[in-house]
Amino acid sequence: MDIISQLQEQINQIAGIAFNTFGTLQRDAPPVRLSPNYPEPPANPTEDAANFAEQPKLMSAALVKAAKQFDALVAALPLAEGGEEAQLKRIAELQSENDAVGQDLQRQLEAAEKELKQVQELFSQAADNCLNLKKPN
Amino acid sequence: MATAAYPPPPPYYRLYKDYLQNPNSAPEPPPPIEGTYICFGGNYTTDDVLPSLEEQGVRQLYPKGPNIDFKKELRSLNRELQLHILELSDVLVERPSQYARRVEDISLIFKNLHHLLNSLRPHQARATLIHILELQIQRRKQAVEDIKRRREEAQRRLKESLGTLEGQ
Repeated sequence: MDIISQLQEQINQIAGIAFNTFGTLQRDAPPVRLSPNYPEPPANPTEDAANFAEQPKLMSAALVKAAKQFDALVAALPLAEGGEEAQLKRIAELQSENDAVGQDLQRQLEAAEKELKQVQELFSQAADNCLNLKKPN
Repeated sequence: MATAAYPPPPPYYRLYKDYLQNPNSAPEPPPPIEGTYICFGGNYTTDDVLPSLEEQGVRQLYPKGPNIDFKKELRSLNRELQLHILELSDVLVERPSQYARRVEDISLIFKNLHHLLNSLRPHQARATLIHILELQIQRRKQAVEDIKRRREEAQRRLKESLGTLEGQ
Protein backbone atom coordinates (compact mmCIF):
# COMPACT_ATOMS: atom_id res chain seq x y z
CA MET A 1 0.00 0.00 0.00
CA ASP A 2 1.34 3.44 -0.77
CA ILE A 3 2.59 5.62 2.04
CA ILE A 4 -0.32 8.07 2.06
CA SER A 5 -2.88 5.27 2.32
CA GLN A 6 -0.81 3.76 5.12
CA LEU A 7 -0.89 7.10 6.93
CA GLN A 8 -4.66 7.30 6.50
CA GLU A 9 -5.04 3.75 7.84
CA GLN A 10 -2.84 4.61 10.80
CA ILE A 11 -4.96 7.66 11.66
CA ASN A 12 -8.11 5.55 11.57
CA GLN A 13 -6.42 2.98 13.76
CA ILE A 14 -5.50 5.63 16.34
CA ALA A 15 -9.13 6.76 16.36
CA GLY A 16 -10.30 3.18 16.80
CA ILE A 17 -7.94 2.52 19.70
CA ALA A 18 -9.02 5.79 21.37
CA PHE A 19 -12.74 5.10 21.30
CA ASN A 20 -12.29 1.44 22.16
CA THR A 21 -10.20 2.47 25.15
CA PHE A 22 -12.79 4.89 26.50
CA GLY A 23 -15.70 2.59 25.73
CA THR A 24 -14.18 -0.46 27.39
CA LEU A 25 -13.02 1.40 30.48
CA GLN A 26 -16.37 3.08 30.88
CA ARG A 27 -18.25 -0.17 30.48
CA ASP A 28 -16.10 -2.33 32.72
CA ALA A 29 -15.12 0.09 35.50
CA PRO A 30 -16.06 -1.13 39.02
CA PRO A 31 -18.58 1.08 40.90
CA VAL A 32 -17.14 3.99 42.93
CA ARG A 33 -18.45 5.78 46.04
CA LEU A 34 -19.73 9.27 45.00
CA SER A 35 -20.83 10.89 48.29
CA PRO A 36 -20.76 10.02 52.01
CA ASN A 37 -24.60 10.04 52.06
CA TYR A 38 -24.89 6.93 49.97
CA PRO A 39 -23.80 3.57 51.27
CA GLU A 40 -20.62 1.93 50.12
CA PRO A 41 -21.33 0.06 46.85
CA PRO A 42 -21.27 -3.72 47.16
CA ALA A 43 -17.74 -4.71 46.36
CA ASN A 44 -18.02 -7.71 44.03
CA PRO A 45 -14.58 -9.23 43.94
CA THR A 46 -15.15 -10.87 40.58
CA GLU A 47 -12.23 -12.19 38.63
CA ASP A 48 -12.09 -9.16 36.32
CA ALA A 49 -11.02 -6.91 39.17
CA ALA A 50 -7.52 -8.22 38.76
CA ASN A 51 -7.62 -8.03 34.97
CA PHE A 52 -9.23 -4.65 35.04
CA ALA A 53 -6.26 -2.96 36.64
CA GLU A 54 -4.19 -4.03 33.63
CA GLN A 55 -6.58 -2.67 30.98
CA PRO A 56 -5.71 1.04 31.15
CA LYS A 57 -2.00 0.23 30.99
CA LEU A 58 -2.36 -2.07 27.99
CA MET A 59 -4.67 0.25 26.10
CA SER A 60 -2.62 3.37 26.64
CA ALA A 61 0.47 1.45 25.59
CA ALA A 62 -1.33 0.49 22.35
CA LEU A 63 -2.33 4.13 21.79
CA VAL A 64 1.19 5.43 22.26
CA LYS A 65 2.57 2.69 20.01
CA ALA A 66 0.11 3.64 17.26
CA ALA A 67 1.09 7.31 17.59
CA LYS A 68 4.79 6.42 17.34
CA GLN A 69 4.05 4.33 14.25
CA PHE A 70 2.34 7.36 12.71
CA ASP A 71 5.41 9.51 13.38
CA ALA A 72 7.64 6.88 11.80
CA LEU A 73 5.43 6.84 8.69
CA VAL A 74 5.51 10.65 8.49
CA ALA A 75 9.30 10.53 8.63
CA ALA A 76 9.25 8.08 5.71
CA LEU A 77 7.33 10.46 3.42
CA PRO A 78 9.37 11.08 0.24
CA LEU A 79 8.67 14.81 -0.08
CA ALA A 80 11.83 15.58 -2.02
CA GLU A 81 10.65 18.19 -4.51
CA GLY A 82 10.22 21.78 -3.39
CA GLY A 83 6.72 22.42 -4.70
CA GLU A 84 4.31 22.12 -7.56
CA GLU A 85 6.23 24.29 -10.05
CA ALA A 86 9.41 22.27 -9.64
CA GLN A 87 7.49 19.08 -10.34
CA LEU A 88 5.74 20.54 -13.39
CA LYS A 89 9.06 21.80 -14.76
CA ARG A 90 10.60 18.35 -14.32
CA ILE A 91 7.61 16.76 -16.07
CA ALA A 92 8.04 19.13 -19.05
CA GLU A 93 11.77 18.31 -19.24
CA LEU A 94 11.12 14.59 -19.10
CA GLN A 95 8.43 14.85 -21.77
CA SER A 96 10.74 16.62 -24.22
CA GLU A 97 13.53 14.12 -23.53
CA ASN A 98 11.05 11.28 -24.01
CA ASP A 99 10.00 12.72 -27.38
CA ALA A 100 13.63 13.03 -28.55
CA VAL A 101 14.49 9.47 -27.50
CA GLY A 102 11.25 8.26 -29.10
CA GLN A 103 12.18 9.80 -32.43
CA ASP A 104 15.64 8.27 -32.16
CA LEU A 105 14.06 4.88 -31.56
CA GLN A 106 11.74 5.38 -34.53
CA ARG A 107 14.66 6.17 -36.85
CA GLN A 108 16.65 3.14 -35.67
CA LEU A 109 13.61 0.92 -36.15
CA GLU A 110 13.01 2.13 -39.70
CA ALA A 111 16.65 1.67 -40.66
CA ALA A 112 16.70 -1.82 -39.14
CA GLU A 113 13.51 -2.80 -40.96
CA LYS A 114 14.91 -1.54 -44.26
CA GLU A 115 18.07 -3.57 -43.78
CA LEU A 116 16.00 -6.61 -42.85
CA LYS A 117 14.02 -6.30 -46.09
CA GLN A 118 17.19 -6.01 -48.11
CA VAL A 119 18.72 -9.07 -46.51
CA GLN A 120 15.53 -11.06 -46.99
CA GLU A 121 15.40 -10.07 -50.67
CA LEU A 122 19.04 -11.01 -51.25
CA PHE A 123 18.58 -14.28 -49.38
CA SER A 124 15.58 -15.29 -51.46
CA GLN A 125 17.51 -14.49 -54.66
CA ALA A 126 20.49 -16.54 -53.50
CA ALA A 127 18.20 -19.42 -52.55
CA ASP A 128 16.50 -19.27 -55.95
CA ASN A 129 19.84 -19.35 -57.71
CA CYS A 130 20.98 -22.30 -55.66
CA LEU A 131 17.86 -24.28 -56.35
CA ASN A 132 17.85 -23.27 -60.06
CA LEU A 133 14.21 -22.44 -60.02
CA LYS A 134 12.71 -21.80 -63.41
CA LYS A 135 9.44 -19.90 -63.71
CA PRO A 136 6.74 -22.04 -65.32
CA ASN A 137 5.96 -20.40 -68.70
CA MET B 1 -43.65 -15.26 -10.39
CA ALA B 2 -43.69 -12.28 -12.76
CA THR B 3 -40.65 -10.02 -12.56
CA ALA B 4 -40.25 -6.60 -14.10
CA ALA B 5 -38.85 -6.66 -17.62
CA TYR B 6 -35.64 -4.79 -18.40
CA PRO B 7 -36.16 -1.28 -19.81
CA PRO B 8 -36.24 -1.23 -23.61
CA PRO B 9 -33.20 0.03 -25.52
CA PRO B 10 -33.20 3.78 -26.29
CA PRO B 11 -35.37 4.45 -29.37
CA TYR B 12 -32.65 6.13 -31.47
CA TYR B 13 -31.14 2.81 -32.46
CA ARG B 14 -33.15 3.15 -35.71
CA LEU B 15 -30.90 6.01 -36.79
CA TYR B 16 -27.96 3.59 -37.08
CA LYS B 17 -29.62 1.26 -39.60
CA ASP B 18 -27.17 1.94 -42.45
CA TYR B 19 -24.06 2.30 -40.31
CA LEU B 20 -22.20 -0.56 -41.98
CA GLN B 21 -22.69 0.85 -45.45
CA ASN B 22 -22.19 4.50 -44.65
CA PRO B 23 -20.74 5.42 -41.23
CA ASN B 24 -21.55 9.10 -41.82
CA SER B 25 -25.31 8.57 -42.09
CA ALA B 26 -25.66 8.10 -38.33
CA PRO B 27 -25.49 10.95 -35.80
CA GLU B 28 -22.23 11.73 -33.97
CA PRO B 29 -21.91 10.67 -30.30
CA PRO B 30 -22.79 13.52 -27.89
CA PRO B 31 -19.83 15.72 -26.82
CA PRO B 32 -18.43 15.31 -23.27
CA ILE B 33 -20.28 17.28 -20.61
CA GLU B 34 -18.56 20.23 -18.96
CA GLY B 35 -19.42 21.91 -15.71
CA THR B 36 -22.08 20.46 -13.43
CA TYR B 37 -24.59 17.80 -14.37
CA ILE B 38 -27.50 16.03 -12.70
CA CYS B 39 -27.45 12.24 -12.40
CA PHE B 40 -30.33 10.35 -10.69
CA GLY B 41 -31.38 13.51 -8.91
CA GLY B 42 -27.91 14.30 -7.55
CA ASN B 43 -25.64 17.14 -8.60
CA TYR B 44 -22.16 16.24 -9.75
CA THR B 45 -19.33 18.35 -11.01
CA THR B 46 -16.71 17.52 -13.61
CA ASP B 47 -14.12 19.71 -11.92
CA ASP B 48 -12.56 17.31 -9.37
CA VAL B 49 -10.72 19.50 -6.91
CA LEU B 50 -10.39 18.92 -3.16
CA PRO B 51 -12.68 21.46 -1.40
CA SER B 52 -10.81 23.46 1.21
CA LEU B 53 -11.70 23.04 4.85
CA GLU B 54 -13.51 26.37 5.14
CA GLU B 55 -15.90 25.30 2.37
CA GLN B 56 -16.85 22.31 4.50
CA GLY B 57 -17.33 24.49 7.56
CA VAL B 58 -14.35 23.07 9.44
CA ARG B 59 -11.75 25.24 11.20
CA GLN B 60 -8.25 24.87 9.76
CA LEU B 61 -5.67 24.24 12.46
CA TYR B 62 -2.48 24.27 10.39
CA PRO B 63 -1.18 27.53 8.87
CA LYS B 64 -2.31 28.42 5.37
CA GLY B 65 0.11 29.48 2.69
CA PRO B 66 1.60 28.40 -0.63
CA ASN B 67 4.09 25.81 0.61
CA ILE B 68 3.10 23.80 3.65
CA ASP B 69 5.72 21.72 5.46
CA PHE B 70 3.63 18.57 5.55
CA LYS B 71 5.86 16.51 7.80
CA LYS B 72 6.07 19.20 10.48
CA GLU B 73 2.32 19.88 10.42
CA LEU B 74 1.43 16.19 10.54
CA ARG B 75 3.72 15.63 13.51
CA SER B 76 2.41 18.63 15.45
CA LEU B 77 -1.20 17.60 14.77
CA ASN B 78 -0.37 14.12 16.06
CA ARG B 79 0.98 15.61 19.31
CA GLU B 80 -2.12 17.80 19.66
CA LEU B 81 -4.25 14.70 19.19
CA GLN B 82 -2.48 12.81 21.94
CA LEU B 83 -2.81 15.78 24.32
CA HIS B 84 -6.52 16.07 23.60
CA ILE B 85 -7.09 12.38 24.24
CA LEU B 86 -5.32 12.77 27.58
CA GLU B 87 -7.47 15.82 28.36
CA LEU B 88 -10.61 13.83 27.53
CA SER B 89 -9.65 11.09 29.94
CA ASP B 90 -9.04 13.70 32.68
CA VAL B 91 -12.40 15.36 32.00
CA LEU B 92 -14.16 12.01 32.21
CA VAL B 93 -12.65 11.41 35.63
CA GLU B 94 -13.37 14.82 37.12
CA ARG B 95 -16.23 16.54 35.27
CA PRO B 96 -17.89 13.79 33.18
CA SER B 97 -20.70 15.96 31.88
CA GLN B 98 -18.33 18.19 29.89
CA TYR B 99 -17.09 15.60 27.47
CA ALA B 100 -18.82 17.06 24.41
CA ARG B 101 -16.44 19.97 23.86
CA ARG B 102 -13.39 17.72 24.11
CA VAL B 103 -14.85 15.14 21.72
CA GLU B 104 -15.56 17.94 19.23
CA ASP B 105 -11.94 19.10 19.46
CA ILE B 106 -10.67 15.58 18.84
CA SER B 107 -12.87 15.15 15.76
CA LEU B 108 -11.69 18.55 14.49
CA ILE B 109 -8.09 17.38 14.71
CA PHE B 110 -8.95 14.19 12.83
CA LYS B 111 -10.66 16.17 10.07
CA ASN B 112 -7.59 18.39 9.71
CA LEU B 113 -5.30 15.36 9.57
CA HIS B 114 -7.32 13.72 6.82
CA HIS B 115 -7.55 16.95 4.86
CA LEU B 116 -3.75 17.36 4.98
CA LEU B 117 -3.28 13.83 3.69
CA ASN B 118 -5.81 14.35 0.91
CA SER B 119 -4.01 17.48 -0.22
CA LEU B 120 -0.85 15.38 -0.58
CA ARG B 121 -2.49 13.24 -3.27
CA PRO B 122 -1.92 15.63 -6.24
CA HIS B 123 1.75 15.78 -5.26
CA GLN B 124 1.83 11.99 -5.23
CA ALA B 125 0.18 11.86 -8.66
CA ARG B 126 2.81 14.18 -10.14
CA ALA B 127 5.63 12.21 -8.53
CA THR B 128 4.21 8.97 -9.97
CA LEU B 129 4.06 10.60 -13.41
CA ILE B 130 7.70 11.68 -13.12
CA HIS B 131 8.70 8.16 -12.13
CA ILE B 132 6.80 6.59 -15.05
CA LEU B 133 8.37 9.03 -17.54
CA GLU B 134 11.84 8.25 -16.23
CA LEU B 135 11.23 4.51 -16.55
CA GLN B 136 9.93 4.95 -20.09
CA ILE B 137 12.94 7.00 -21.14
CA GLN B 138 15.25 4.37 -19.70
CA ARG B 139 13.44 1.56 -21.56
CA ARG B 140 13.51 3.48 -24.85
CA LYS B 141 17.23 4.17 -24.54
CA GLN B 142 17.81 0.49 -23.83
CA ALA B 143 15.81 -0.45 -26.93
CA VAL B 144 17.84 1.96 -29.09
CA GLU B 145 21.07 0.41 -27.80
CA ASP B 146 19.77 -3.10 -28.48
CA ILE B 147 18.77 -2.29 -32.06
CA LYS B 148 22.14 -0.63 -32.76
CA ARG B 149 24.00 -3.64 -31.44
CA ARG B 150 21.95 -6.09 -33.47
CA ARG B 151 22.40 -4.10 -36.66
CA GLU B 152 26.15 -3.99 -36.17
CA GLU B 153 26.16 -7.71 -35.45
CA ALA B 154 24.21 -8.38 -38.64
CA GLN B 155 26.57 -6.24 -40.72
CA ARG B 156 29.55 -8.07 -39.27
CA ARG B 157 28.11 -11.47 -40.09
CA LEU B 158 27.22 -10.43 -43.62
CA LYS B 159 30.79 -9.25 -44.19
CA GLU B 160 32.09 -12.53 -42.75
CA SER B 161 29.89 -14.60 -44.99
CA LEU B 162 30.92 -12.46 -47.97
CA GLY B 163 34.54 -13.19 -47.13
CA THR B 164 33.81 -16.92 -46.85
CA LEU B 165 31.95 -16.96 -50.16
CA GLU B 166 34.73 -15.14 -51.99
CA GLY B 167 37.30 -17.46 -50.54
CA GLN B 168 35.55 -20.43 -52.16
